[in-house]
Amino acid sequence: MNAVDATSRSIEADTGAPPSLLTVILDTNPHAWNLLAPSLPLHKALASLLVFLNAHLAINPANQVAVLASHVERAEWLYPTPPSRGHQQVNGDVDMANGGPVQQPPDEANKYRPFAAVERAITSNLQNLLATTTKAALSSTPTTMTAGALTLALSHTSKLTTAGPTSTQTAQSSFNYSDPSSNTSDSRAAGSSAPGSSTSRILILSTSPDNSAQYIPTMNAIFAAQRLSIPIDVLTLASSSTFLQQAADATGGIHLSSTTPTSHAGLLQTLMLAFLPDPTARQSLILPSGEGAGKSVDFRAACFCHRRIVDVGFVCSICLSIFCEPVPDGTCLTCGSHLALASYGRKPAVVPRKKKKRKRVVGEGETPGSAGGTPAPG
Amino acid sequence: MADSENEYSDDEIVTGKGRAAASKPKRAHARWENLATKTHDLGDAADGNIEGVLGGIEEANKRRRLLKDTTPLQRGIIRHTLLVLDLSIAMNEKDLRPTRYLLTITNAVNFIREYFEQNPISQLGILGMREGIATRVSDMSGNPNDHITAVRNLRSLEPKGNPSLQNALEMARAALYHTPSHGTREVVIILGALLTSDPGDIHDTIKACIKDRVRVSIIGLAAQMHICAEICRKTNAGDESCYNVAVDEVHYRELLMGITTPPVMRATDTEMQKRNQAALLMMGFPSRVTEDKATLCACHGQLTRGGYLCSRCRAKVCNLPATCPTRDLTLILSTHLARSYHHLFPLRNWVEVSWQRAREQNSTQCFGCLAPFPPAHEGADGSLPKRAEGASESSRYECETCQNHFCIDCDVFCHEVVHNCPGCQSSAHLPGVEVEEANGNGHVDGEAMETGA
Repeated sequence: MNAVDATSRSIEADTGAPPSLLTVILDTNPHAWNLLAPSLPLHKALASLLVFLNAHLAINPANQVAVLASHVERAEWLYPTPPSRGHQQVNGDVDMANGGPVQQPPDEANKYRPFAAVERAITSNLQNLLATTTKAALSSTPTTMTAGALTLALSHTSKLTTAGPTSTQTAQSSFNYSDPSSNTSDSRAAGSSAPGSSTSRILILSTSPDNSAQYIPTMNAIFAAQRLSIPIDVLTLASSSTFLQQAADATGGIHLSSTTPTSHAGLLQTLMLAFLPDPTARQSLILPSGEGAGKSVDFRAACFCHRRIVDVGFVCSICLSIFCEPVPDGTCLTCGSHLALASYGRKPAVVPRKKKKRKRVVGEGETPGSAGGTPAPG
Repeated sequence: MADSENEYSDDEIVTGKGRAAASKPKRAHARWENLATKTHDLGDAADGNIEGVLGGIEEANKRRRLLKDTTPLQRGIIRHTLLVLDLSIAMNEKDLRPTRYLLTITNAVNFIREYFEQNPISQLGILGMREGIATRVSDMSGNPNDHITAVRNLRSLEPKGNPSLQNALEMARAALYHTPSHGTREVVIILGALLTSDPGDIHDTIKACIKDRVRVSIIGLAAQMHICAEICRKTNAGDESCYNVAVDEVHYRELLMGITTPPVMRATDTEMQKRNQAALLMMGFPSRVTEDKATLCACHGQLTRGGYLCSRCRAKVCNLPATCPTRDLTLILSTHLARSYHHLFPLRNWVEVSWQRAREQNSTQCFGCLAPFPPAHEGADGSLPKRAEGASESSRYECETCQNHFCIDCDVFCHEVVHNCPGCQSSAHLPGVEVEEANGNGHVDGEAMETGA
């Protein structure tokens, strides 16, 4: 870093850890946070999260963060700040990512500016989000838009990793005015590293149970993450989620659950120790695997007819839709084709057994006291 | 939409060519000939700014690839495919770099990976045509690694002799004979030679293939052959798009990767399905366990730590997909099934956004990746920058369901990789759907149904 010589600088850039993008999806479902409030109020969790984000930014000056809120009826960016629709920017400049009415920073001399920028953006956007949540929205859905947040995170990540350094710079231009030195190092790192060499990952702080209506979108997002080799880390703070468990397993991410009050108190510790190492560092670490039977993964699926989560289901051989019970009129609800139960379906398996049992029962039925007859050999 | 007309006329030329090759001596222009004579229409750049036009052309090309019919088609998702590689002397040609043979091996490995990515519960087998006979490279199985090692081992083998399409088809037919009726039976042939040295009448073999409903698609590496066109046409119920000749390396790869998408089912196949009536399968979705002490697995009797517990009888199997050894229950990972769902609920195409619409919606950033859009600050006097045909003039693309605007990169990414619309998924209130419902229009696509349900 301190070397002024151009040659040594280029060498340093090559050997250094690649910049990594951390996208955090914060589940801001008010129902769930209300239940969590005695042990872990939202503001405490947010404080821990901000420290965690700062730590990530501090590891490598080229590191980036992005934060999404998956709320009850919408998923929204917390950082970088998206422009509100219909709010015309005069110059159409990119810098408005941080340049809304919120961003006339009282300059805090004691704070590293990128930290301050991230903190300010996240807290103000989160306040906006919570303030604009209507009662009707709260009462209509008890779940959260995980699939949407994941899709947004993936498209953002793919754009940053696949596109050249220019787009990285535009995303990074939030630091333009606030910290020129950090920006120069960003552009240098982005310019020197080949596209795709930057590593990215997604961390989901989950508080709500699965929304089985989102099964297909969530699965699509998981496969996309798998294809882009983006690990999805999951930290469950309240009820566990089958889909997110599968997400972590399929993409090689870490799945931890911290649902007890004691573990809630150590949220920051969990975040820092388990989730801070980036994918390159993880190759040389023994990864945490959760408590007890944490490694076992629930692979159950949601059926298409009633959105139940099932472990034995009926699958249409044409479209692979899952049903929890044989479809009533023999017509697949998804593809409309006529279905018949295959030979190893429920009916043929049960009927012959019953017959056999009946015969035996009839044979033994003639001897009277059934309770008296059986213990004789013992 | 002028764009799609171009596509259409292109296809017309191709089919015309195919028919000419198959039945008439008269010959129309092949597609590659048209491509070779086509010059870039750069004349549009009236202002002399070539950069915008070139960027537009690139975007239009990306877009053209995306614009496909999104009506859900019935596709054969449980597939049984045999990949037949030409291992004859013709594969030593160097017209495809480095040689046809080495390129074929590389492409075949990619094909195997992509095939199992797209069709996780399907089976694949690999045959070779060498010295006039068909040889078995790898057996039908669902494990991609077996096939990949087998194909990699071919590197040490020298291409030799002549290929025989008849022998290959007969062997493929035999290998596909026992496959269940609810799956498809496909043969994919990569043919480098311009001849086939057969022991008997290949037309008998073709008839037998039709009877066994084996579909053949052929990728030629040299030139069109009448017999190949005939095989493909007859086994695919008159569809001529299954026989293609690769023009260059990129085209070759595209053709091969195109086959990994599950094939559409035709009416005749559906009749066959009805006759067979095996359509609703009972499957278990077991959960994975890890154990402290090793226990015997029910499938191989080996000591393993961990595996999958059958959801009905708790017997432990070590790998999925499998059939539970105690009860005849098919065990499968639900993620295997879920991989093919995007074929069932395809994402709707997004529409191009005019400057006027962009100003109406006042979109300044891509909804997905937050990349800024070019602003419309050229003024409303019609002097807005022009772009190539097929690309959106404002560089924005709109999802009609959620009415958000996206950039071309997100358009490509969402339609090819994620198969989700970020906008539709991240809001419970979709203006497009609400409008349609208000109009009493019953048409709601799969994505909208998902969020609406």
